Amino acid sequence: MSGLDGGARASSRAPSASSVEQQSAPARLRVYRHKPGAAAAPRFEIYEVPASAGATVLDALLWIRRHRDPGLMVRHSCLHASCGTCGMRIAGREALACVTSLAELGPGEVTVEPLANLPLVGDLVVDMEPSYARLRAIGRPLVRESELRPEGRPAEGIPGPTRFEDCIECGLCLSACPIVATDPRYLGPAGLAAAWRSVEEPRGGAVGRVLALADDEQGVWRCHTAWECTEACPSNVDPAGSIMRLRRAIVLAPRPKQ
Amino acid sequence: MDGPGLDGRPPTPAAGPGAPGPPDRAPGGPTRVPEGLQPPPRLELPTWEPSGAGGPTRAWVAQALTGVGLLALVTVHMIANHFVVPKGLRDFAAVVDYLSNPLIVAIEVTFLVLVSWHGLLGVRAILFDFGFSPATERRISRGLFALGVATVAYGLWLTSVIVSYR
Amino acid sequence: MSERELGDRDAGPGRPLDRRRGVAGWVDPRGRRLGGWAFILNRVTGIGIVVYLYLHLGVLSLLARGPEAWDAFIAVALSPLFLFFDVVLLAGLLIHGLNGIRVTLTGFGLVLDAQKALFVALMILAAIVLLVGAIRLVEVG
Repeated sequence: MSGLDGGARASSRAPSASSVEQQSAPARLRVYRHKPGAAAAPRFEIYEVPASAGATVLDALLWIRRHRDPGLMVRHSCLHASCGTCGMRIAGREALACVTSLAELGPGEVTVEPLANLPLVGDLVVDMEPSYARLRAIGRPLVRESELRPEGRPAEGIPGPTRFEDCIECGLCLSACPIVATDPRYLGPAGLAAAWRSVEEPRGGAVGRVLALADDEQGVWRCHTAWECTEACPSNVDPAGSIMRLRRAIVLAPRPKQ
Repeated sequence: MDGPGLDGRPPTPAAGPGAPGPPDRAPGGPTRVPEGLQPPPRLELPTWEPSGAGGPTRAWVAQALTGVGLLALVTVHMIANHFVVPKGLRDFAAVVDYLSNPLIVAIEVTFLVLVSWHGLLGVRAILFDFGFSPATERRISRGLFALGVATVAYGLWLTSVIVSYR
Repeated sequence: MSERELGDRDAGPGRPLDRRRGVAGWVDPRGRRLGGWAFILNRVTGIGIVVYLYLHLGVLSLLARGPEAWDAFIAVALSPLFLFFDVVLLAGLLIHGLNGIRVTLTGFGLVLDAQKALFVALMILAAIVLLVGAIRLVEVG
């Protein structure tokens, strides 16, 4: 049976000594299954997945699709924590499945669930539209000045280096936030972090408009410093810190509501 | 679960070692949804709209400042009522004596105002965490403000009754 | 019976497929980290203190009924059960007040990087003061 990496092994069909050494105990995954609209109620299915060294939760889920149930809905893209597509809750904590190592999760049964607080499309796939709507409302900052190291120099003809925003729009912060859990109108950590970026580095955008959106009962003032968003973020966005810096900007520099 | 998948085809049998896995999408086109299984309804999401209340910053600043004030006033209240009297509780005579001092009354009234303000702002914050409409938010604010006024009024009335026993 | 009649918990007219955790998202301890504990502790102690406030104000109305009513209550208030709840109240006040310092500081954008360490330090302080206060309460009462 093919290993979790799905790729061709370098050697012959018979398992070599080194690949036998690499084979660890099977991983047990307890996976949330539900197709909204189907007869079956939401439930957990247990799968035993052969695990090779370095296998990730996403590897295991794709193996389940290939060898157990092609109906398992899983979403992923880049396989290296850049696209933010494979966000889910693993062993009770938000994580990107493509970089969550099975070995690090320990020997017991691992529960895999979709992100909380977002509408369910099916199984492990959630609808990210609520998050995108908020990011659109803020204006979706995508580019920022690069923190080029002092000894570095941009290439000739490039005035100053820029790079993409840290936020990969994965939604882990929304799943972790206790206020998003109860409040459908909360702007939320992702949106507020984007708001802070827009204020910190306007790049021609309307700062007043963004501050007015943030300075709202459903903006920064719904945050209660649980800091779970920053803990969950796989990409150094620090939404909690962003929200607090926004608050400071709002309190110290009041401006007329636009 | 080795039954047919969503497209009605049997799952690809496990390949031997060294062979790559099958592609995730079945060749021949998108999966066909079988009878009776509806695709999930698209959520009608409003575009996100702010409350636009204008006063939330003031509420937060009030929460923080009353909180700081309360750190001091709770300590004073606890010590004055429970740690400088024998047995830790004032009997009736001791209460009347305590409230006969106008400075004490001023401190205790301030304490009542701050604790009601801070506490009811906290209740308001918890209620607002449910994301009610801006109109409901305003109603909640007004209701809790009224409760706060009533609480302080009660405290003032009670103080005047106690002091009348002097 | 059609498939849809068999118990479609999520979809339905007017009912979204929302999987918001609701208040479970506030109280569920699984996956929670330090800041999440600070949040729920502040919330629980805050609610407890507000409830206590109105209980306390209600009890104080006995003062309006004169010395007999009040002094009778005082006798009850020295019982061990009351003293136990006094310790609980003190714990709630300390946790809420000291964590509130952290909430205030971070809420104004200060001490952001040290907020976890600040929480731990403040809770240790709360424990110490609680211990001293509880001993004093039991002695005096």
